[in-house]
Amino acid sequence: MKLTVVLGTLSFFVLVIAIVFIAANEQDRMESFTQSYQSRQIETGAALFENNCIICHGPQGRGIDSVGPAINAADLFNGERLGSFGFSGTVENYLRGVISAGRPVPSEGTDFPERMPTWGMDNGGPMRDDQINALVEFIMNWEEVALARGEDKPDGGTPGEGVGTDITIALPAGDPEVGEELIAGTLACAACHVLGPAGPAWAAEAGIPGIATRAESRTSQDDYTGEASDAVQYLIESILLSDAYVVDGYLSGIMPANYSQRLNVQELADIIAYLQSLP
Amino acid sequence: MPIFEVHLPLLDEIKTKGLKLALQGMADNAVERLTSGLGISEVRAVMRDDPPPRPNPRLKPHAEGFWLHMRPTYYNNLLDGIYPSFLLGWLSTFFFTFEIITGIFLMVYYTPSPLVAYDNMLNILSNVPFGRLMRDMHKLGAELMVAIVALHMLRTFLTGSYKKPRQFTWATGLILLLVTALLSFSGYLLPWDQLSLWAVTIGASMAEAAPPEIVGKTLNLIVRGAPEFGAGGLLRFYLLHVIFLPLVGLLAFGVHYYKVILHGHSLPPEAEEVGVDTARKVPIKVRTYFMPRILTRELFWVAILLAIMVLWSAYLFHAPLEPHAESLITPLHIISPWYFLWLQGMLKLGDKVIWGVILPTILIGGLLFLPYIEVGPSRRYGHRRIGLSAAMLFVAGIIILSFMGTPFYGVDTSPEQEAVAVLVPETEPGPLRLSDWDELETGVYESAAWNIAPNRTLRDLLHTFNEEIEIAEYGGRTGWEGVMVIEDWQPGLKKITLRVLWIDQATGDPGEFNNSTYLHQNSDYGQGE
Ligand code: HEC
Ligand code: HEC
Ligand code: HEM
Repeated sequence: MKLTVVLGTLSFFVLVIAIVFIAANEQDRMESFTQSYQSRQIETGAALFENNCIICHGPQGRGIDSVGPAINAADLFNGERLGSFGFSGTVENYLRGVISAGRPVPSEGTDFPERMPTWGMDNGGPMRDDQINALVEFIMNWEEVALARGEDKPDGGTPGEGVGTDITIALPAGDPEVGEELIAGTLACAACHVLGPAGPAWAAEAGIPGIATRAESRTSQDDYTGEASDAVQYLIESILLSDAYVVDGYLSGIMPANYSQRLNVQELADIIAYLQSLP
Repeated sequence: MPIFEVHLPLLDEIKTKGLKLALQGMADNAVERLTSGLGISEVRAVMRDDPPPRPNPRLKPHAEGFWLHMRPTYYNNLLDGIYPSFLLGWLSTFFFTFEIITGIFLMVYYTPSPLVAYDNMLNILSNVPFGRLMRDMHKLGAELMVAIVALHMLRTFLTGSYKKPRQFTWATGLILLLVTALLSFSGYLLPWDQLSLWAVTIGASMAEAAPPEIVGKTLNLIVRGAPEFGAGGLLRFYLLHVIFLPLVGLLAFGVHYYKVILHGHSLPPEAEEVGVDTARKVPIKVRTYFMPRILTRELFWVAILLAIMVLWSAYLFHAPLEPHAESLITPLHIISPWYFLWLQGMLKLGDKVIWGVILPTILIGGLLFLPYIEVGPSRRYGHRRIGLSAAMLFVAGIIILSFMGTPFYGVDTSPEQEAVAVLVPETEPGPLRLSDWDELETGVYESAAWNIAPNRTLRDLLHTFNEEIEIAEYGGRTGWEGVMVIEDWQPGLKKITLRVLWIDQATGDPGEFNNSTYLHQNSDYGQGE
């Protein structure tokens, strides 16, 4: 009986001390949870961005010319872009609004062929609020690098060196490995042709042969509308004048129309060498 | 005649006895009212464990007070120790109360809607003082309660306490068991994360299997509020969890405990002659009075248990919170909570109707009527060899079924998904997310070359990955390889791609499976949620 009372009283004091101790640490604990949750949202946002956005905004959000604007860019974070049309909220507000509601009407001065889709459930899209917020957190996490990179526009070509639009041009020897690097870089071909479904897949899949094989037979197809007379010319044409022939099942105007200015002869040769290595 | 008369007896007493004595008298009076019968000096005597005067004033609170009238005034000395009750019924009651109190706290911050439920959980964790503690304690208490109630049932079976005259106590107990199980089940859905949605979805699919089809379909609609879980289902589960089941539980408990007192706590089987029940007749010599002994010990247990629950939940046990429920993404392995694993195991044995509906119904019915069917008069262990063996077999069966309920048994999934899921499982953080972020050096690593990876963390991860790759087997595929690619993705964010490669034997074509995980420096999965 005595022992019971003593032990009981003791554990009562342990209880009180434990609660006081927990109370003292509660503020820190809540803050650390908040931070950890925000970090996990960035992770979630990264996955959502990869799965839904890079086909138009490019890998790492660096933008794809004439498809979607760069989001990983200094002018978005330093207020220039928002200032230019007098938006007074924060960058987060802006992002949340645009992503959730989309852009049914093109912004003035742009000629993107497709609209920015609506993503938020509130506006008829597929994503919940917490997912939109995750995307915002993820995009905001670029702020530091985008500002540090400053004005240099991520995409945009090297004017003056463009190959032009002559599809019969004589190509120097190309290196497929360099080609592979190029297509994964800011030219962003990979976003549509390798990673996402926006353009025809280059690799052989589901019974359809790879681009090298397809290029061989395209020019002899009944519905072929272009000018090319062999596989290499067809590939050059698809890249420089992509609307000359629109692959069945895809839309014209999606593939950027400015590669004739952005690529030089050597780069074009490298890319084609790479494409020809995909039977 | 005065219209309004105030009489303060205290003033008269002060006049006659003086201030000090009058105040003492008043305090004594107040204490006596609060305890329904014990004055200050008697309360002191109880605390000192003095022998009671005669007539024993300590019986008065049992006769006049509401709370103590439910408790016996004395117990048989034989019931004073741990054996034979092992305190399990008392513990069940403790946890039932504990769950109600912590549950009400959580209710304050929770709205049963798929739009905000998960947000509410985050808010409880990030913004409510003691929120995480309360949530962890509620969850821990729930798990312990299931275990304790089941053990309580086992012990009443082992000591033969379900036999005449306590058959009805057993039957109401079984209702309490069902209520406890359903409380856990309905509560599981409320956080609205991937874990809860899918575990409950499997459970609810049993309702759907009930024959004939039209009944199953209707039952399913009633349970989920729609063909799939959504706003309707969540609201229904919430209402079951916070109103219906607790009410049924309280009522059943009232009857249960009333019957316990009515028949008296059963004595250890060997203390009685076969076929007689002497629980109600406790000779004066062998009485242990509720006050002070039993009361003190119960307070002692309350203090100990509260301290344990607080320390355990604050430092060891954390209720999980997985990503938001996603009805379109089915996790690779859906694991029910451990106390339902046996059911999941049964579901794997074959037909859902037989194993998931008919058999559990027979089981519950059998247990309910057990004391009316098994009417052997003796409670002695030696006379109940068949019954006790059957109970042991039953427990063994539940344990085996529980093992079969885990993914280790009888689940065919593709080895590539399996290999990836070892490092990044979908319903818990897993080794990759728990590893040291700084050690995840960017690079391309082959799992087979795990032992030359640059640091310990990578070696461990790759080793684990490789073990799965080595046992990978799938009809017609060879040349399994595992690759892990770590890239810097953003400030503080890395992308980890796990790639499984194989060769199709027939065509010689290579195949691959990729999974990308993004990991942030500060996501800190180690803290539990
Ligand atoms: C079908 C192509 C497409 C997809 C897919 C797409 N966007 Fe866009 N996005 C656009 C276009 C086009 C614009 C520019 C619209 C305009 O200004 O008229 C744009 C604009 C934006 C802007 C505003 C940029 C600015 O500076 O005004 C943000 C932010 C944005 N998108 C985020 C996203 C996110 C996040 C996703 C993925 C969930 C996504 N987008 C998916 C095409 C797309
Ligand atoms: C915004 C998405 C997008 C980007 C970026 C893009 N393409 Fe395309 N590409 C398409 C679409 C859509 C088609 C099919 C419609 C057409 O033929 O114009 C296509 C067609 C092609 C074809 C013809 C495919 C066939 O099956 O005949 C080739 C070759 C090609 N693209 C190469 C490239 C190269 C090289 C780049 C990078 C320099 C690139 N594309 C960048 C969307 C894109
Ligand atoms: C929420 C669940 C339950 C609560 C709160 C509860 C509570 C109690 C309490 C306080 C006692 C008296 C103390 C003791 O004997 O340990 C008791 C006795 C008893 N309970 Fe339960 N019980 C629960 C579930 C069950 C279940 C599931 C069964 C069996 C199916 C059961 C069968 C019995 C029997 C037969 C007794 C009488 C034991 C005796 O007299 O020795 N109870 N219960």
